[in-house]
Amino acid sequence: MKHSLLFALFAAPLVASPYKVEDIKFPAEVPPEVGAIDFAPDGTLFAVLRRGDVMRAKPATDPANWKWELFATGFHNGCGIDAVSRDKVRVTQMADFTEATDTDNDGTADQYRIFAAGWGLSGNYHETNTIAEDGKGGYYIAIGTASHNGPTAEHTFGEYSKFGRRGRNFASVKWRGCTLHCDSEGNLTPFCFGFRMHNGIHQDSSGNLWCGDNQGDWRATTPLYYLEKGNFYGHPSALVWDEKWPTDKDPLRTYREDLDAYNKHRTWPSVQIPHKEMNRSAGEPYEIPGDFPHFPGQMLLPDNNSKRITRIMLEKVNGKFQGACTHFLNGNGLRSGNHRIRFSPDHQQIYVGQTVRGWGKEAEGLQRITPTGEEPFDITAFNITPRGFRLTFNRELATALTEKDLKFKSFTYQSKWTYGSPQENKADNEIKSLKPLDTKTIEVTLAGFKPGRIYQLDLGKLKSKDGMEIQNRLFYYTANQLP
Amino acid sequence: MRALLLTLFGITLASADPLTFDTTPLGEKDRPIILRTYVPDPGLDPAVFPNHGKASKSPKYSPNSGRDTKGEYGMLKVIPAAIAVNHGPALSYVWDTTECRLLYAWQGGFLDLYPYWGEKNRGGRRSFDYGARLVGNLFYLAKPIKRERPTFIGYDLSDKGVLTFRYKLGDKEYTEKIIPSDKQYSFISYLDEDKLEYKGDLISKHQGFDRNLKIKSATAKAGEQVFGAYGCIACHSTDGSNGHGPSLKGLAGSTRDIEGGEPVLADAAYLTESIKVPNAKTAKGFPPGYMPPYQLKDKEIESLVLYIQSLAK
Repeated sequence: MKHSLLFALFAAPLVASPYKVEDIKFPAEVPPEVGAIDFAPDGTLFAVLRRGDVMRAKPATDPANWKWELFATGFHNGCGIDAVSRDKVRVTQMADFTEATDTDNDGTADQYRIFAAGWGLSGNYHETNTIAEDGKGGYYIAIGTASHNGPTAEHTFGEYSKFGRRGRNFASVKWRGCTLHCDSEGNLTPFCFGFRMHNGIHQDSSGNLWCGDNQGDWRATTPLYYLEKGNFYGHPSALVWDEKWPTDKDPLRTYREDLDAYNKHRTWPSVQIPHKEMNRSAGEPYEIPGDFPHFPGQMLLPDNNSKRITRIMLEKVNGKFQGACTHFLNGNGLRSGNHRIRFSPDHQQIYVGQTVRGWGKEAEGLQRITPTGEEPFDITAFNITPRGFRLTFNRELATALTEKDLKFKSFTYQSKWTYGSPQENKADNEIKSLKPLDTKTIEVTLAGFKPGRIYQLDLGKLKSKDGMEIQNRLFYYTANQLP
Repeated sequence: MRALLLTLFGITLASADPLTFDTTPLGEKDRPIILRTYVPDPGLDPAVFPNHGKASKSPKYSPNSGRDTKGEYGMLKVIPAAIAVNHGPALSYVWDTTECRLLYAWQGGFLDLYPYWGEKNRGGRRSFDYGARLVGNLFYLAKPIKRERPTFIGYDLSDKGVLTFRYKLGDKEYTEKIIPSDKQYSFISYLDEDKLEYKGDLISKHQGFDRNLKIKSATAKAGEQVFGAYGCIACHSTDGSNGHGPSLKGLAGSTRDIEGGEPVLADAAYLTESIKVPNAKTAKGFPPGYMPPYQLKDKEIESLVLYIQSLAK
């Protein structure tokens, strides 16, 4: 009895969480509804809270003892923030992009200036906006749509479109459901169209622009999109704000009646992420820096509606991005509401901003994730081949894998007007051959292997040669292209 | 609570304290708070909005069929991109960033954000009814004017956070500042250097969002709920500390000094009168006309009185 207990205690570290998750406390009674976070160049963390305040603090080791200061106030649902310096922030709030500056060095902003404006605000509660820096002093701005669970005002901020008003999530005022480019002077131009609620946008270190979106109407499941100028990303309402779209044509009706034309017009997600199994509502995608100890160069995608963060492994096939997803973190003290990510200035910790206010059970706050040890045993590269996949593990496998250790299935999704779409055309893909390339890498060829499908991999309880259990046993690869 | 935050965290603040879960926040006369939110349209002439888009009713839509169903979506009487400012009970006003002008002003309270922010632990928003509600006495509504389309530039804050708005008409830049005056139904505005004292009359009374508490019989506990639901704590502390209005601690049964009158005993009749007709007698040391009359149900008032009496010692 005693021996087995001792053994259990001794064995515990092998399956212990590879991450410490800490709750960073705001002052008592301050609603920690974190719309967005950003580090200033001096290492000060700024957080814009949804009721209007911008708080700042130098990160402290003790998560309960940060010296928060109120830096600025009076923002409407700020969900994007650039901490330009310790004395200057730019915030996308519902109606505009405002710069707040402390000009007299007393610790609080005293000068509020419109940095950019031009998108509309209908008066709907759902119309939040967020930003990614473009690396040239400007930004990309994700302009969210309105929800049919709320109305518009009578007098809208900006031009009103009756066709844009149609549908579940709608774009009744200018540039809703679009991504805009904002130059360093604040001049706005539409960049691409057709988003439902891309609550998070990110430019990676190679200059690629990414966003997620929320499963729902015209979103079969949670997508990760690679953004290119002029493209249409599948949510029709925003087309009323695309100059190429005829003004007398109702986009919702047009594509409801002709899904083939819809599928030809739209740019498909680089990765489709099953919403129940993996990520119910994408927050801000964020590239893991090269000097973070785990999974450097891969992408994180926080789940706004579950206690999860997705890990995405991308590759370019025939010049187009696609790839696989699995969990980075699933539970382990993580809250729900995850939607903003920043790495600490030394790139060794992850900060996650959380809010769902008004949508489901409250999940508000700021958490910090710190690796506790080595990278957990997992698949670190998931590559497509003409006839199957090449899987790379980060540790030597305890025993050579057999067909029994892997199971592949595949399915398709059709986005349409319904709130999410089921997995269709399901098939089991038998393993035709399994070949180890070395002690960490295997190649599988699959029966019925075709493009245009999402491949699910279920792994057995694998162990590494040094005794670690595999962290993730569920993966999905979006095979838009075959090489 | 505001003072408590300051001492707890040792924060020196040049402007207002952080917002809290309180859905009826209040600034101070010389230290306003600023809120960007969906402020109510309290009955402005539609011609006041010449530079806004004009929405219309829209057919109801079924997300399942992707088609219209019976009925129409109405519209909400809110102003999307305005700035609400509160100088405590002395003055609240709404200045719009599209029309670049003062739209309306009121006294005696600010906004009740309950329909938008919800409760602390639920955060529930009222689906088709999330506009903030006015608290207090409305006395100014903008009238239509004819002028070219303005461009909002931003605003500056004084050391204590008083706003000066900046906007352009054509190439010319203008400023506007609005501050409380000492009089009822009045404010002072500066358009560039031109000072104007506006003096108006009561237009309408507002008491925030109706929480519709269902109280079966009056109790002190129910009174505590009413106290919380209507945001009374914004002005009346329960711990003896100073606020915009007298603290409730030790109030019941005490003898009260009254501005311009004889001292009175704070019995149930006095407490009831002070809730129903708050300006019948003004407690010494507090400005007159600050507390709006709350049209509460009898059981709510009886419960409040019992709650105040429970705080007598």
